[in-house]
Amino acid sequence: MIETRAMTRRFGGDTAVDRLDLSVAGRGLVGLLGPNGAGKTTTLRLLTGFLGLTEGSALVCGFDVVEQPLEVRARVGYQPETPPLYPELQVGEYLRYVAEIRGVQRATRLSRVGEALERTGLVGWERRRIRDLSKGYRQRVALAQAIVHAPPLVLLDEPTAGLDPVQLVSIRALIRELAADRLVVFSTHLLPEVAQLCDRVLVLARGRLVGDGTVSELAARAGLERALELGLRPGGPDASVALAALPGLRAVTPLGEGRYRLVGVAAADVVALAVAAGWAIESLIPREPTLEEAFLRLVGGDA
Amino acid sequence: MRPSTWRAAWAVYKNELRLLAVSWLGAVFLSAFWGLGGLFFLVGIGTTGEASLRPAVGNLAITLLFLVPMVTMRQLADEARSGTLELALTAPVSSPALLVGKWAAVVSLVGVGIAGSAPWLAVLWRFGEPDLGLAVAHLLGLWLVGGLCAAAGLFASSLTTESMVAGVLAVVLLLPTWLASAGRTVAPAVAQPWLDRIAVLERLRTLAIGGIDSGDLVWFACATIGWLFLAWRVLESRRWS
Repeated sequence: MIETRAMTRRFGGDTAVDRLDLSVAGRGLVGLLGPNGAGKTTTLRLLTGFLGLTEGSALVCGFDVVEQPLEVRARVGYQPETPPLYPELQVGEYLRYVAEIRGVQRATRLSRVGEALERTGLVGWERRRIRDLSKGYRQRVALAQAIVHAPPLVLLDEPTAGLDPVQLVSIRALIRELAADRLVVFSTHLLPEVAQLCDRVLVLARGRLVGDGTVSELAARAGLERALELGLRPGGPDASVALAALPGLRAVTPLGEGRYRLVGVAAADVVALAVAAGWAIESLIPREPTLEEAFLRLVGGDA
Repeated sequence: MRPSTWRAAWAVYKNELRLLAVSWLGAVFLSAFWGLGGLFFLVGIGTTGEASLRPAVGNLAITLLFLVPMVTMRQLADEARSGTLELALTAPVSSPALLVGKWAAVVSLVGVGIAGSAPWLAVLWRFGEPDLGLAVAHLLGLWLVGGLCAAAGLFASSLTTESMVAGVLAVVLLLPTWLASAGRTVAPAVAQPWLDRIAVLERLRTLAIGGIDSGDLVWFACATIGWLFLAWRVLESRRWS
């Protein structure tokens, strides 16, 4: 659905997107993650044809974004970072306008608008003026405009920016639900959001793709491994030497107060060693590498 | 499926009219148009004793150079700032369709203003024997000026994200077309043909005596299309700047 080859965009001497190769297809939720200035917004704007490519190529839904921009835009739903709303219009008026410019035929326009209202929880709000809505509901209207023409691909630029915690939860649930029957690519710099929502994560730094995969794949690429955190009763002897002899152990890191981080060992072997050595185990917790650790490792000093 | 260029322009046109209706901008424009027009009409009749729209139309044409930019300044500049321009430019709407839709909405607003001037004609008929053809020619000229101002206003609006700047810039761009008429009387002979070419009031002279000169119509068409073309190029250049 999205195929880019060496996609590059420069603004004067600054390279915002640098030889980006992307290949994304199917359904689900893909997070475009990166620190501020990593090129997330520019990437989405290039994919919608709002900005032109300086070099390279990009195919979206099988159409070239430079040669066939109108075909691309007819198949993409897009929500810019600033919700593109007319405050003076009613919600229903606005969505009917968007449906019309996005090519929804008159015969199906009302039903498509109704569907978008239903999926975004806006039924009953059609006659409200947009200026009278809360930020969370404006965000819902912005999402509704992105899906009103039932596009196979939806691009969302920081759709949860500036929302309060209650609004965050509902908008995230909504985005997750939208991805059930289409591909949704959304940009964010919020790591928990990506870890919680996304099937796949694309990590950008300095306009380049530095990571692509699930959270565990990114962790592996960043050189992070699953670990065990062992907690012994404080005040006991130093267990580092004995732990170092465990089969398969690749690293043991004392964390202080009787706690150790072990990489490459099985929990059963640790328990057996503790029993044999007479140690009192207070805790033995498996630790998965976090997206935060992977992200920081991948983007280096940019975060 | 993507809409045809005309369908897209039609959708933009209807939305612009809706925005003009609900934002009070249209009402303010029409109030100013009818208020000033009525004043010019009464003063014109009082001073010339002529049963004609000519004095009112001449002054209203100049007024349009200031009034129309107040409408067009919002159309691209404000939308670029609020993000709604990004909505249109990421929808399957070509830049020409977007511009034509917005331009046609302003031209329609001017048309409503002109249609609402019918009571002046009624007054002329009540108290005199006006020439209907002449009146139609006068109002046609006014409408053409409105179309020209809308196109120049859109061009100015495409250059900035500050609507006030866009409004002032449009007036600055349009002023020479008015000042050229006055300037030609004091300008050196060598400059006069050039001033004639840009003077909008010179183009209204034939219409003012009831004639419709195809050369004048072509002049208005070229000037209007020229400004719209420049606005189109600015919108397209934004993708690459």
